[in-house]
Amino acid sequence: MKLLKSILRTLLYIAVMCAFTVLLIVISGANLSDALSKFANGIWGTKLNIGEVFVKATPLMLTGTACALAFRTGFFNIGAEGQFYIGAVAAAAAALRLPLPGMLRLAVAFIAGFLAGGIWALIAAGMKLRFKSSEIIVTIMLNYISVNFLAMAVRTFLKDPKGTLPYSEKLDPALVLSKLVNGTRIHTGILVALACAFIVWFIIDKTSWGYQMRVVGFNPRAAQCSGISVSKSVIRASLLSGGIAGLAGVIEVLAIQKKLLEGFSSNCGYTGVLIALLASNKPQFVPVVAIIYAAISSGAATMERQTSVPSAMVNILIGSLVIGVLLKKYFDSRREGVLK
Amino acid sequence: MLETVFTWSFLTALLSSGVRMAMPLLYAGIGETVSEKSGIVNIGMEGVMLSGAFFAYVGMVFTGSAGAGIAAGILGGMLISMLLALVCVKGKQNQTVCGLALNTLALGITGFGYKMMCNAGVSGQVGIIKVVPIPLLSKIPVIGEAFFTQDILTYAAYILSILCFVFYRYTRTGLSMASIGENPMAADAASIPVEKHQMIACAVNGIMGGMGGAYLIVAQVGLFSDNMTAGRGYIALAAVILGRYNPFGVVLASLLFGVANAAQIRFQLLGTGIPMQIFAMLPYVITLLALLLTSGKSREPKALGTPYIRGKR
Repeated sequence: MKLLKSILRTLLYIAVMCAFTVLLIVISGANLSDALSKFANGIWGTKLNIGEVFVKATPLMLTGTACALAFRTGFFNIGAEGQFYIGAVAAAAAALRLPLPGMLRLAVAFIAGFLAGGIWALIAAGMKLRFKSSEIIVTIMLNYISVNFLAMAVRTFLKDPKGTLPYSEKLDPALVLSKLVNGTRIHTGILVALACAFIVWFIIDKTSWGYQMRVVGFNPRAAQCSGISVSKSVIRASLLSGGIAGLAGVIEVLAIQKKLLEGFSSNCGYTGVLIALLASNKPQFVPVVAIIYAAISSGAATMERQTSVPSAMVNILIGSLVIGVLLKKYFDSRREGVLK
Repeated sequence: MLETVFTWSFLTALLSSGVRMAMPLLYAGIGETVSEKSGIVNIGMEGVMLSGAFFAYVGMVFTGSAGAGIAAGILGGMLISMLLALVCVKGKQNQTVCGLALNTLALGITGFGYKMMCNAGVSGQVGIIKVVPIPLLSKIPVIGEAFFTQDILTYAAYILSILCFVFYRYTRTGLSMASIGENPMAADAASIPVEKHQMIACAVNGIMGGMGGAYLIVAQVGLFSDNMTAGRGYIALAAVILGRYNPFGVVLASLLFGVANAAQIRFQLLGTGIPMQIFAMLPYVITLLALLLTSGKSREPKALGTPYIRGKR
């Protein structure tokens, strides 16, 4: 019954969003059926397009999972964007500069990216626990610091010695993550992303660590009173969450960009926050939401190229969807008499 | 290189452009101070500013007057901040979630609207307002040119910061609005209208944030571009913390951020070997250090970000 209700509610949201999409297309003055067919074409028109949806969804699955884990523990990690970049820099440094044989170097790049992202998030956790600083502000500051750090890295110690532009040299082809499906760009990174979502789901729902994290997220004082260490849970959650967001950066460098450059996250750190929220902070739903988001934004990008409908439509849809979910919660609690 | 840097004209120009770059942050920072003092943290300040910038641009394109542009910018800012008020003050929902969603929403609305204007061929450069030197004061060396040879919106920002300081320090309403951020239950018991004051605080947040965005169009660039606020809303949040929730502190913090940004651009033009991202990074590092150093003595409102529900413990 409960499951049926939640499925019905999700369908209702989807219906409202579809109606809203149609409305926006009409507002923009494009031919509706033409625009919709371009939209659909962008998603499943060719094999390559279908592949692109999954390519786009891969980093979003990771940042979404990272945020979901942190939010469940009551650690408001807005810093996936920064952890993504720090992870990418660490992985690129390891992949480009370490004198190790191929596979070992790849493994070290992954570990370095995970640790760098995790430690980056740990700074915010430490400041929250020790100095009661708002982790929201700290992670936002760290985002900007890491964007600038990356900009510095590609101009100094990771710059291509032969080039003049702020890029690193190309990665050794042996290190590039292999393709999974021929004729698309889908790569093995998506397996890592799915595995992370599964592992985080397992940790949160099936282990005592996860139980402690959930209690801390729900009511830290109650957790403390019943002998659960708030700081241990927050530290574990931040390390894991930052690490997973860092892996998103690692995978984008190793599979898609194949070198280090600026601004390649396309905001997937911030989008991850919204994806986690739309998945009700449940890692098992994150991959689905990420794929839907990636599909909508691929469709909208094609639509923008071929018709007059702006692709910014996606941001309107996602933003109003989250606001709509919040308003629904408000009306629910009003009906139950919690609020007036 | 050093002899180019340490000349009065260089320093004056640096400070002067620092002041200009500080203005959007100052407006938004004051707006955010007002809402945070009443316990509402608006992470959506970025969206408020972006919406303010866009609607100011729309206003100027269609009327050609800066006044109409500013008015439209204010309304654009309020559009976003009042949505936050509806969801978080009335609806008591999570402010961070709502703020982030509003940022995305504003990015969407402005991007969509601007693209449609471009498609319709009604976009183009609009004229920016003139610099009006203040007689006498503008003759002071260095400071005169930096602070008193600016546009009218800059002077308005000085006055608004002073008004904001006076409001919280010396008026009864100011005190009651700040008390909500400290202890809404006690404020409610003292028959202070908590929700009403929080709504007003959100409105002021939108007005000031909208002005901050409008300043970019009306006084600096004269042309909208996608995501043109580029993180200034988040920097304004940092300016509030660094300024320790005091309007004058916010002025100083915004100036620091503005000058650091101006320095970054100027030094880049000089073409030294040092990567200038160090300067760009500096404001954020300073904010983090400030958070560390002021811990324990923090002025942060005690009930910041927690929704107040009457009768709930």
